[in-house]
Amino acid sequence: MTDTAIIEVMLQFIGVFVSLSIAYVSYRGVRQTESSSLLRLATAFAFLGFGFLVEGVVGLNSILATSPALATVVIAGLLLQTTGYFFLAFSHAVDVMLAKRLGPALLVLPVVTLSATQLANVLGILSFYFVLYGVVETVYSYARTRKPDTLVIAIGLSLLGVGTFVQWLSLLYIQVDVLSLLQIIIKEVGLLILFIPVLGFARKGVGVKLDGPI
Amino acid sequence: MSTARDMNTEGSGVGITTLLRKGNMSYVRMSKLLGELVGSGLLVQLTNEKISKYTISPKGLQFLAAYYQFEDFATSFGLRL
Repeated sequence: MTDTAIIEVMLQFIGVFVSLSIAYVSYRGVRQTESSSLLRLATAFAFLGFGFLVEGVVGLNSILATSPALATVVIAGLLLQTTGYFFLAFSHAVDVMLAKRLGPALLVLPVVTLSATQLANVLGILSFYFVLYGVVETVYSYARTRKPDTLVIAIGLSLLGVGTFVQWLSLLYIQVDVLSLLQIIIKEVGLLILFIPVLGFARKGVGVKLDGPI
Repeated sequence: MSTARDMNTEGSGVGITTLLRKGNMSYVRMSKLLGELVGSGLLVQLTNEKISKYTISPKGLQFLAAYYQFEDFATSFGLRL
């Protein structure tokens, strides 16, 4: 296993920690407030976390690298991540529908076309589109609320979007090793930015010990 | 709940008329909601000479604090709670 591969695996596991932390805080919110928005957020980051976990385990297990099962496992990891990004986009879509307004993100729909033939490429494009939708909706939300934290999350999501785009490129250009490492670094920085609200929880402490929903 | 907390300046509770005005909802709907909140221990009903007033309970204050924290969290992600 090369140094690059080890770094990649480490970053994947950091991604697991960050994603599952966000999912955990969201889930606590679901338990206490029964909010459907937080439920979708928790689902999104749980899927992302398990997606990173699968990719991390694949990277860790160098034996699998030569196994015919590799493609299936990699696709499974990508599918989990795409599902996570879908739930992220879905949360915003539901938010848009509840607010009875047209999402500005719909404007970016024609930009993305499903031209790839391979499943991995399709998942890559879908992930990119879902993140893009989340970015546009979050920026729109920032324009409405002017909350600095929302802008920070939009930047984090943007980096995740760039990361998924680079990941898609890395699937197309397998011979360029640096793309694979670059995509995970960009995604990790994005995820660490998304971790900021969770750190806020850790700093303030929830301070409320309610057992489940009221 | 936040009205029952903020408007209760004298400590004698808040009447249903104030809650109706602030909540902008019908009497029937408000009565049902108040029943649920009192039943779950988030509000305390103070009855005095046939007049019912409501004040927030310590559990209600805890719930509001948690609610605002998670609302802040959801807003950070551009979502509404």
